[in-house]
Amino acid sequence: MEEEQEAEEQERFSSQQRLKAAVHYTVGCLCQEVAADKEMQFSKQTIAAISEITFRQCENFARDLELFARHAKRSTINTEDVKLLARRSNSLFGERLDQAPICQKQTRATQGHRDHRSLVAV
Amino acid sequence: MERASAGFRKELVSRLLHLHFRDDRTKVSGDALQLMAELLRIFVVEAAVRGVRQAQAEDMALVDVDQLEKVLPQLLLDF
Repeated sequence: MEEEQEAEEQERFSSQQRLKAAVHYTVGCLCQEVAADKEMQFSKQTIAAISEITFRQCENFARDLELFARHAKRSTINTEDVKLLARRSNSLFGERLDQAPICQKQTRATQGHRDHRSLVAV
Repeated sequence: MERASAGFRKELVSRLLHLHFRDDRTKVSGDALQLMAELLRIFVVEAAVRGVRQAQAEDMALVDVDQLEKVLPQLLLDF
C-alpha cells in the first residue's frame, strides 16, 4: 500500500518537474529575445529564478481565476476572469491585453451584434 | 504583422493552471487560455526588461540574480 502511495507521489513530482522544465524552456527563449533586443546578457541563475517565480505565480493565478469564475457562478474560466486578474497593473496589462488579438476579435464581435440590432430597430 | 516571438503554449498554460485548481469541475475556455499565455509572456518579459534596466543602472554587462532580486518586489506588487 505504501509502495503505491510512494509511486503516486513520485509520479506527481516528476510531472511537476516536467512542467517546470517546460516553463524554464519558454522563459529561456523569452529572455534570449530580450537579451538580443537590449544587448544585455542574462546569467543562467537569473533565467532559472524568473522561471521559478513564474511557475509559482501560476499557483496564485490559478486559484484567483477559479475563485473569480465561481463568484460569477461559472465553472468555466473565461477572458473576463483573466482581465480581472490583470486589473492591478493597468499600465502593464490594461492596454496590452485589450490589444491582444483574442480580445480584439471579441470586441469586433459584440460591436457587430450591436450594429445589427440597430438596423433591425429602424 | 507576424512577430516571430516565443511564448507559452496553450497546452502548457492549461496544465499549469489545472495543477492548482481546487475543484475538479473547473475548466478554462480556449480564449482565456490564450489570454493567460499572453499574460504570462508579458510577466516574464517585464521581469527580464526590469532586470536589464537594473543591470544598466549598475553598469553591469550581465543581469545576475542580484539585479533580479532588486526588481522583484515591485514586479510582484505590480501584479
